[in-house]
Amino acid sequence: MAGATRAAIGRRLSIPGKSYMVRWYVVSVVSLVTPGSEEEETEKEPLRERVDDLDGKTIGLYDNGKPAAEPLLTAVQEKLSERYPNATFDWFHVEHLNQIKNDDKQEEVKEWAQTVDTALGAIGDCGSCTKFLAWGVELIEEGGTPGVGLIDEGFELDYQSNAIERGRALRYKKTPVRCETTDLDRVREEVSEEVVDGIVDELTRPLNDKERAGAEKVAQ
Amino acid sequence: MSKQSQTEESLEDINRSLYKEGMTDGLPVIPPTEERVDEMLLGTDRDRDEVIGELGNNENALTVERLAANAVMAGCIPPYMPILEAGAEALADPDSNSIQFSVSTASWSYQWVVNGPVREKLDIASESGAFGPSYHANQTIPRALGIAYRNTAKIYPGEKDMGVMGNPYKFYFLAGENEEASPWDPYHVSQGLDEDDSAISLAGPNSWVQWFPGENNAEHVARGMIRNTPESMRARSGEDLNATITHFINPYNAEELEKADLSKQEIKEYMVENSHRTLDEYSRSFGGDSDLPPRQSKQYFDTEAINIVSMGGPGRVNAIAGTSIGGPVTKKIDFPNNWDDLVEEYVVETEWVPTEGFYE
Repeated sequence: MAGATRAAIGRRLSIPGKSYMVRWYVVSVVSLVTPGSEEEETEKEPLRERVDDLDGKTIGLYDNGKPAAEPLLTAVQEKLSERYPNATFDWFHVEHLNQIKNDDKQEEVKEWAQTVDTALGAIGDCGSCTKFLAWGVELIEEGGTPGVGLIDEGFELDYQSNAIERGRALRYKKTPVRCETTDLDRVREEVSEEVVDGIVDELTRPLNDKERAGAEKVAQ
Repeated sequence: MSKQSQTEESLEDINRSLYKEGMTDGLPVIPPTEERVDEMLLGTDRDRDEVIGELGNNENALTVERLAANAVMAGCIPPYMPILEAGAEALADPDSNSIQFSVSTASWSYQWVVNGPVREKLDIASESGAFGPSYHANQTIPRALGIAYRNTAKIYPGEKDMGVMGNPYKFYFLAGENEEASPWDPYHVSQGLDEDDSAISLAGPNSWVQWFPGENNAEHVARGMIRNTPESMRARSGEDLNATITHFINPYNAEELEKADLSKQEIKEYMVENSHRTLDEYSRSFGGDSDLPPRQSKQYFDTEAINIVSMGGPGRVNAIAGTSIGGPVTKKIDFPNNWDDLVEEYVVETEWVPTEGFYE
């Protein structure tokens, strides 16, 4: 009986017509009320098509307000400028990390995104800034522009989880630049040519079928 | 061979499953059976499907029923429901900033302070050991609100909750203000409520320090409030980030401050005036506005960023909780019509120390 109980308890059943009444059923012995929120399905949106080449493009640099974002994006801009002298850069600074929670700031990001060909966002190097970076890159994609987030490698699962919850498997590039590293010279060293290769790849690699697919439901 | 009864086996298995699903805080829980949840709902007049608030990235709904399910798991009793509902409203209030402090690397905790007549009715401790273990309401109410937040917003350590160290206070940080021993207006009155109201207030600090003055007089207490504030804490109110610090002052020291005719506001002004610290890396995050910072900055930037609460029992120890990046948010508690009957039926009067007869 115990085994049967264990096997049955994880199933969650929606009562037809009352989707909010999600309950857990444990055989016939006990029925539990789920303590978790309703399992709504998020419409999964496709990623925006990548640019085929960065040459001559306007590359957006989205600074989410964390101290390490600007030096990281500065170092990346310098490296990309060397590779793509015809590329231009346009910055968007969120003055304070928390401002991205405001509707008017979100609209500003979407409007700005429409003025650039592709965009990089930084930085995901803490719990809330990784969350808000994913929000920012999602807004860039909502604005119709392909975006890529730059994250501390320790925050990959955090970025993925927040991106999925926002409804899009947003692209990202892990960098060796750790939390709160703001020394520009050090950041320049850490943004190696190999890192830049990876950033360029995320910005330009054609979407795969999964990234291109829309309307797929994602359980939160 | 197991000697467990059917019920005991089910309890164990249900706990395993709930833990596996990430629905607990790691401690054993009371299974939220329909019967137990129905019983918990005796503590509210609200419809079980009413949405109290929305939490997390996708604003997931926390209904009265799901709050009750989490309350059952945490070991709450029905008369706690009104305070849980008000606490849930505080969590859902954007001013609480729970969406940030619940996931941030600094491992912020949910700090709850309860005011008003509800403290006595529910035996919410505010004197000796109020923030410690032992008190049923003090332990189970914040636990219920903590797991309700996690289960609604769906955040897990190392996934969205990126607290580097974690925090032992996170889900267990609640006490009533010791209003009876306080020379000042209760905290909820300073937030605009009436003294006869009951209320719960939420903040989100990540650290807790206990300290005591060298002498039991106002000067040592007021100076100690500044000098014992860790270098890493900063208090500065603001629209983008409201960084606050709460001082929990024991009754003895509060009395000394009163003897010196110091109001709460005057104490705060003294702290702002005298809390200069040399600037360090935190200046960047807490308001440094120049590339070439001045040599000193105020640790307590403005009086609005300081909270003072009377707390604890006899003795000279005070506490500082900060820096909070959440709230403070205060919510009035509304009670159902049958609440006094529920209190009578469910609240247990403790008989821990049988003092009767000690000196006969």
